[in-house]
Amino acid sequence: MLGLVLPVYLDVTIDLLTAFILLLSFVMLSSKWISFYIHAYGIQSFLIFILTLILGIETHSVDLYLVALLTLIVRCLIVPYMLLNMMKKFNIKEEINLSIKIPASIITGLVLTVFGYFLIFKLIHNFVPDIIINSAAIALSLVFIGFFMIISRYTTITQILGLLVIENGIFLFSVILTPTLPLIVELVVLFDILVTVTAMLILSMVMKIKTGSFSTSMLNRLVG
Amino acid sequence: MKIIVLIFLLLPLISGIAALIFRNKRFAEYITFISSAGTLVISIYYLLFLLHFHSITLLNNAIIIDKFSAYIILLVAIVYFLSSMYSISYMRFAIKNEGLTDNEFFRYYLLINLFALTMLVAPILNNLALYLIDIELTTVTSSFLVITEITEKSIEAAWKYIVIVSSGISIAILGTVLFYLAGNIHGIHHGIYGIISSLDWTVLSAHAVYLNKDLVKIAFILIVIGLGTKVGLAPMHTWLPDAHSEAPAPISTMLSASLLNTAMYGIMRYFNIAGKNLGFNYPQEIMIIIGLFTIFIGVMGIINQKTTKRLFAYSSIEHMGIISLGFGLGGVFGTFGALFQMLAHSLSKPIMFYGSGNLLHKYKTKDIKAIKGVIYTMPKTAFLYVAGALTLVGAPPSAVFIGEFLILLESFKKGDYFISVILIILLISAFIAILAKINSMIFGVSNDESIYDINNLKITKGDFGLASLMPMAIPLILTIFLGLYIPSPLKLFLNGIVRIIIK
Repeated sequence: MLGLVLPVYLDVTIDLLTAFILLLSFVMLSSKWISFYIHAYGIQSFLIFILTLILGIETHSVDLYLVALLTLIVRCLIVPYMLLNMMKKFNIKEEINLSIKIPASIITGLVLTVFGYFLIFKLIHNFVPDIIINSAAIALSLVFIGFFMIISRYTTITQILGLLVIENGIFLFSVILTPTLPLIVELVVLFDILVTVTAMLILSMVMKIKTGSFSTSMLNRLVG
Repeated sequence: MKIIVLIFLLLPLISGIAALIFRNKRFAEYITFISSAGTLVISIYYLLFLLHFHSITLLNNAIIIDKFSAYIILLVAIVYFLSSMYSISYMRFAIKNEGLTDNEFFRYYLLINLFALTMLVAPILNNLALYLIDIELTTVTSSFLVITEITEKSIEAAWKYIVIVSSGISIAILGTVLFYLAGNIHGIHHGIYGIISSLDWTVLSAHAVYLNKDLVKIAFILIVIGLGTKVGLAPMHTWLPDAHSEAPAPISTMLSASLLNTAMYGIMRYFNIAGKNLGFNYPQEIMIIIGLFTIFIGVMGIINQKTTKRLFAYSSIEHMGIISLGFGLGGVFGTFGALFQMLAHSLSKPIMFYGSGNLLHKYKTKDIKAIKGVIYTMPKTAFLYVAGALTLVGAPPSAVFIGEFLILLESFKKGDYFISVILIILLISAFIAILAKINSMIFGVSNDESIYDINNLKITKGDFGLASLMPMAIPLILTIFLGLYIPSPLKLFLNGIVRIIIK
């Protein structure tokens, strides 16, 4: 997308899409129920799919079509399906233990977003148009918000989702800033997401069977 | 050459799957042992081949084995070989003492081979992003090895491991994307777009000067944080003592002695690119600062530890700090010393972890205070354990001593006396702390009548079989030999790697 002049309506569309993507990560931050998280993640992935598709059409890049399709399949369908399936199987209705309460979480999310914007602005404002700075800033703030989700929520599933949000952020970042990234890289990143999420789900199932809960707040035996 | 590389990669894969399919315990043990021996032979063959050639390239540059890769492969293969030998002894005791089920046993043998495979693949990949994904796969396979015996503690360790390291790898991927971006935007002002559209380190390293400097600065820091999580550099080391202490002893060894080196290899590839782009001062300063902090955290951990395996896990952290300090000081001595320290680390860590495994099965505990009088109960293990501890803390003659001495020499040569003084103080503290703890475990009691295990049962005397002693004896002999004399082919080889890194 660098060095590419886009028509105005596309600028607006991309701005809107990325804004919604950011909004959905705030939906995750402001929720206490795990199923909200999973649905928000699924919708976020769907928006990223649409964004990738638009960029693919605009740059006539077959690679981006393929990446978009795989994003739809892996991030938008398989991963949320796996997570929801797991919730159904163990009949989870438990609320999430928060170490930082919801209002404080949202404020932290805002601060992280602003921080991401300044970081990106300082890094790349010399050589890219404004529209890309906006989208890249949102991508980077997704990374930060993902990390914040990992450290502030004490449930295995939200920690998995935190990692997935980080991956979404990195994917958005790479699609917007470096659409020429070799296809093989995107493919193996998707494969990696599948493997990691499966492994983490199995681990959390083992944990549920052994300790009776998905909560990570009791994981405090190993210290020092 | 193609066929040899193929065999090299297929050996662990086939033996792992065969171990799972045939479900015969002896067969699983021996096929893993044979495959690891085959891997070791092939890795030595690479070494001999690369003495005379620059590199092995295959599949349109997708696979490149140069001297540095071959060296890391050798380190991984050595530890894989030792661990597969030690597993024969360790897993039989795990079945007897800890009630390991058949399913867990065969899963262990599948995963140990896959873990070795993922580590052997990592150094030969040319594409940096693929390398990172492969490192992520090592995390997945080894986190399941950590829960070989499913207990609440091991689940906790595995969970911390996979969450912390996966997020670390995400940061490293972000850094890699920035490296790619740095190659793609430079040309805009000059009217050339997409000068370096590649993530191959060969390409990036050859065209490093064309990368955007600001982006490379940030990207290198992200890489050090991200891959540093896997290496165990402080303050990203928190998963390491947990995973190392809860995994079975052969796996702790593979985690410590080969996985950390494999991740360090990645940092050094980026180090080379960043150094060529920014001048070597910038990445070197980062490595020095993080290295010193890591040594400090490692030594503080060593002083505070109450269990055997956590002690050596913190010692791994300390060694990784020394290695990154060595690379950070740079120069011929520093880099050579750091590379030699990698080998030394891979040789002396197995002795200690396998020894701790033997003690665990004798005394049924990892608590240092509860283990007394090993010299009476297991004299051979005790001898190897003490000798191993001496080589580990860097008493001459040992490979660790040579590595640490060279790094110290470089700091003197550069006139960074501040670093030398801190390093000497920390090394001496580690020396005293480790030897005091080992001393209390090995000797500890005045006579051999009053030695009980954690369940207050009288301990039967005698060592375990050959399979538990040989994996300790082989690296001990090697590390003492290397402390006395470095063969000239090895020296030539390491000098070649030094040229690759700081050229």
